Amino acid sequence: MTVPDCRPAWQAMRDAALGRRTEPAGVTRVVVQWGHCSQAVGAGDVYRRLAQLFQSRDDVVVAAAGCDGACFAATQVVVELPDGTARFFDRVTDDGHLSEIVAAADGGAWERARPQGELEAFFVAQHVALMEGIGSVDPISLDEYVAGSGYLGLADALSIGPDAVIRLVLDAGLLGRGGAYFPAARKWQAARRVDAERRHLVVNAEEGEPGVFKDRHLMEGQPHRIIEGALIAAYAAGAGNVVIYINAEADLSADRMTAALTVAEAAGFVGDDVLGSGFACSVTIRRGAGGYVCGEETTLLNTVEGRRREPRLRPPFPTDAGLYGEPTVINNAETLANLPAILRGGVRRFASIGLNEARGTRLVSLSGAVRRPGLAEVPMGTTVRQVIDLVGGGVPEGRAIGFAAVGGPSSGLLPSGELDVPLRPGMLHASGVVMGAGGITVFDDRASPIQVAARLGQYNAAESCGKCTPCREGTPRIAEALGRLAAGEPRDSDLRDLRDLAEIVGAASLCGLGQMAGNPVTSLLHFYGDTLGITPNE
Amino acid sequence: MRRRRRRDEEVDPASDGTADAQRRERQSGLRRVLRDRFPDRNRDNLLPVLHLLQHENGYLPEWALQVVGWHLRVPASEVYGAATSYSELHLDPPKRRSVVVCTGLACWQSGSEELLSAAVQRPDPEDTASVTTTACAFMCGLAPAVRVDGSWRGRVDAARLASLIENVDV
Repeated sequence: MTVPDCRPAWQAMRDAALGRRTEPAGVTRVVVQWGHCSQAVGAGDVYRRLAQLFQSRDDVVVAAAGCDGACFAATQVVVELPDGTARFFDRVTDDGHLSEIVAAADGGAWERARPQGELEAFFVAQHVALMEGIGSVDPISLDEYVAGSGYLGLADALSIGPDAVIRLVLDAGLLGRGGAYFPAARKWQAARRVDAERRHLVVNAEEGEPGVFKDRHLMEGQPHRIIEGALIAAYAAGAGNVVIYINAEADLSADRMTAALTVAEAAGFVGDDVLGSGFACSVTIRRGAGGYVCGEETTLLNTVEGRRREPRLRPPFPTDAGLYGEPTVINNAETLANLPAILRGGVRRFASIGLNEARGTRLVSLSGAVRRPGLAEVPMGTTVRQVIDLVGGGVPEGRAIGFAAVGGPSSGLLPSGELDVPLRPGMLHASGVVMGAGGITVFDDRASPIQVAARLGQYNAAESCGKCTPCREGTPRIAEALGRLAAGEPRDSDLRDLRDLAEIVGAASLCGLGQMAGNPVTSLLHFYGDTLGITPNE
Repeated sequence: MRRRRRRDEEVDPASDGTADAQRRERQSGLRRVLRDRFPDRNRDNLLPVLHLLQHENGYLPEWALQVVGWHLRVPASEVYGAATSYSELHLDPPKRRSVVVCTGLACWQSGSEELLSAAVQRPDPEDTASVTTTACAFMCGLAPAVRVDGSWRGRVDAARLASLIENVDV
């Protein structure tokens, strides 16, 4: 098959973007890091106030960017002076440092030329690749994205053909970041092999797992990176229709993705003839309507088709019969965000990061009892303890780590002695602890593991969709038994019942929610079984 | 058309003529909107339509769900089934004020239970406010998080929550 060379077309667009982007000499940028989380501590107010303060100034531009992941420092404001130096402000509030920011924009003298202290420490152990530019660039601006080699990966993909794209991504070793870690390009291959008139690519940005907030950061900070990744994947899979599925509550993500999509369409990156290649691809954005199970891929398809939120039987797998019964690839937003850099000559760089079995970086949502909670990007294989200590700065006020809840409600607890496990696909601990979508919530030595396991159990019971009887009936029984244990009023049979239920619900449920619902139980019993105050009645 | 109208009347047999006429009026108004905004009448518009209705009304009124079924050619039972299976869709009108407390793991260990009980214990003699919880607000780095009247706030303590509840224009 012959493919057109789309790189000259991209180069022309880049030259035009660079031409437009050149700001008059002497302009200072005041960048407010405005994400969904900093918005909750007033980033929007800070932005509006600064825009007002600098309204009459030609030499100062106030810009809104995404959040770089340092939630503990939100709201951050960066003043970038024309001479290339910058000054960083953290924990800015509407009534806080604003006069200092104005003075900084006027070129006042200062010592700090880059983030220092906590902020610097937060980033030292990170490997920033997916998060590159987030917190600094205007998320919507196509010119800024293209000037930074944006959409070059797409142009390269269109210039080498779908089979070569698949080979390249297989060589890079990109695994899905939603939690199952299935090779992304294998799905494209499978869908491509099916003889069909239409194929679909669905971007899973539902992100409904408690404790995980990575896709929101990507969508708010670099929406074009996800759109470009989705186009590359759609091209490789032979899909002419992309559906980007965004969580019902992630309004800021949806707003920025919609705005970015609009400018990408206007520029010809999306549409009937992408970059003059003949590849036709439409992209639509759809919103979820609540529920952990909506992130399960076949449930997500039902949601898009206007059906109840319930998983489907597999087989057929979505790559054979997915959306509207047609071949469908479902990739996580973070997975797709890796593609632009891989395609534009970054195979080796990607493959050199992380583990041999799982390459690249992983976005980790770190929360709980740490000094620096936030979103961190670390190489695969970084240990849980490294994330907690190096990125998060350990637990505050001289307390010790008690345990960590890793991987959300479909996973379990790791006691402080077990935290030296590397982040990787599969089990982090055989008792049922997985990395999942990369959520880590830390508890100090005062916290009670049984209380936490009971909360995870309650959550799974509440979120069970009700389709499979073992999950519908079993998860509430698990929650009740854990609740009795947590209250110190267990029944004699509770330990035995919990073991049985964890196994039965896991074995007899259709989708991941039920299959993994026993994990909080098995890890709790493994690590803390002898401290629960009752003996197994067996 | 005639058959549909008769079915519509059967739903509400006890109502007097005015209520009936009002209902029909609203239903035909919504049908015009849906024909205009969702002309292809495909079932995959169901969630976008429900989102639109909830945005306009604050909830999903029963009279509107029926119209959605007519327009998208989906049985009313399935419209209802879908509408009730998603946690962000509501079939009851919202209260005038609302407080949502995140009780996810990070917020829970940062004291969200105290915030919740403070919100629940606030006197509300006219029953104008709802206090509910959510399993995660996805801003775990700024725990604890509380939503008051539609706006999420992070790093909330009891005093801040009280002032958020007091200082809102109602």
